[in-house]
Amino acid sequence: MTPAYSVEDLVLTYPGQDRPAVDAVSFTIAEGEVFGLLGDNGAGKSTVVRQLVTLLRPTSGRVALFGVDVATDPGLVSRKVGYMPQSSAALNRLTAAESVYFAAHLRGLSRRDARRERDELLGLWGVDEVAGRSSARLSGGQRRLLQLAVAMAGRRPVLILDEPTNDLDPVRRKHVWSVLRQRNAELGTTIVLVTHDAVEAEKAIQRVGILRRGRFTAIGTPAELRRGIEGSLRVELAFPPGDPPALPAGVTPREAGEGRWLLLLDHADAGALVARLDPATTDIRLSSTTLEDLYLHYAA
Amino acid sequence: MPPEALPAREQLLDLVLIQFSNLRWAWTSMVLTGVLMPVLMTLSFGAMADRGSDDVTAVLCGSVVLSLMFQNQNNVASNFAYMKAMGTLDFLATLPVRRHLLVVATVAAFFALSLPSVVVTAALGALVLGVPLSLSPWAVLVLPLCALPLAGIGAIVGITARTPEAAGSVSVLVSLVLVFLGPVLIPASRLPGWVLATSHLSPATYAASAVRQVLAGPVTARLALDLAVLAGVCALSLWWVGARLPWRQG
Repeated sequence: MTPAYSVEDLVLTYPGQDRPAVDAVSFTIAEGEVFGLLGDNGAGKSTVVRQLVTLLRPTSGRVALFGVDVATDPGLVSRKVGYMPQSSAALNRLTAAESVYFAAHLRGLSRRDARRERDELLGLWGVDEVAGRSSARLSGGQRRLLQLAVAMAGRRPVLILDEPTNDLDPVRRKHVWSVLRQRNAELGTTIVLVTHDAVEAEKAIQRVGILRRGRFTAIGTPAELRRGIEGSLRVELAFPPGDPPALPAGVTPREAGEGRWLLLLDHADAGALVARLDPATTDIRLSSTTLEDLYLHYAA
Repeated sequence: MPPEALPAREQLLDLVLIQFSNLRWAWTSMVLTGVLMPVLMTLSFGAMADRGSDDVTAVLCGSVVLSLMFQNQNNVASNFAYMKAMGTLDFLATLPVRRHLLVVATVAAFFALSLPSVVVTAALGALVLGVPLSLSPWAVLVLPLCALPLAGIGAIVGITARTPEAAGSVSVLVSLVLVFLGPVLIPASRLPGWVLATSHLSPATYAASAVRQVLAGPVTARLALDLAVLAGVCALSLWWVGARLPWRQG
């Protein structure tokens, strides 16, 4: 099957810069997949995404959408992709209702269908109560939810969301991931997420690319990425401050607060640690490595 | 499955409505300042001119040109600079919208906003300065053709300036140069030769001539030249801004 996106050797060097912001990046995103782009600030995530939506022209390399080179048909992206930019001021001073309506109508829905979709999406994202308010007067969180509604308007087969949970409280963040999972499952929408919130993103992402200084340091499913690191078990230890437990040789803990350690161990080391656990240890938790662990490992 | 893009006329209508919707929060203050500036120019310059002379006609028509050309140019420059800074241009570029239609829609919305200023300036100026108005049907063509060329230049200033503040400064500078380097507010008979020579390069000169003919008469063969120049500058500036607008990259 033709992938939704196919990116080959993408390079982008900004004018006046010696080092490329994006350096020989290649990846594919399957149709119906939820793909996450993770990385620190300045890692090149938004630069990659802006090339996916043709807002930046690559210095070299190729981006194909459903098998068609976007450089030969830049209008293709606008017909297939719903894009949510990072800037939450992009909607200017339209009301929430107008923002969704115009996006839906300009994306080809009839006026009647655009009105219906406007009402559905405002309700879905919980911003129907501020439908008549200028987007400039919404709170940061409301504006972010409105942007999600706008990106979804017009039912594009691909959604590209740049930092969709910025400015949102935990309840709303949870709602975002839930709606995106549902959209992906029910409509088969391909979703590309840019985020540095690995903990939250784990709830939705099926495959992930971790960027560091414009290059992928890892790309694959979380399970594949787990296999690439030594410790596949996450062990959290709590102990009285100043009285840490003994650790297997060669294991370096990561501080996770006062009197708390976080360890990534293979099964044998984790077993050995548990077997001779110091009685002073007040708490121990074992789980699989999280996306955040993978992110911290590969982005470091 | 919805169609992938709208026909051009529907895109244009939506974009004009979007611009009007954006302007609704500030239109009263924009219209008010748009009216005040040319009216004050008319009254102050008119007070220095002899009643019944060509000078007062020049002042009145020059003030109408100010309303049409420079107010639009400054507003359009600010609007494009703001859309660029806020990411609105990027967002619109990812919708199936033609970039030239966005330019035309923006210019059209601001042109509509400048019409009250034209009417008030012409009516009040005629009343206070005693200029007999002789409105020609050609005004329907002349008024938009006066507004569009400099609105296009305003859009170019807006998208090329680094910040909205820089766009505002450059646009005002362009306005000042074009107003005073030609027979716009000041009649040609009072200008030095070198200014008259350079004025042929300014679209404001042709706009002032055209406005004078369609508001105070008589309409002469010169109007054809004025309209041709204005249409040419309009086409050139709108094409240029459309080509330079940060948009989808092919």
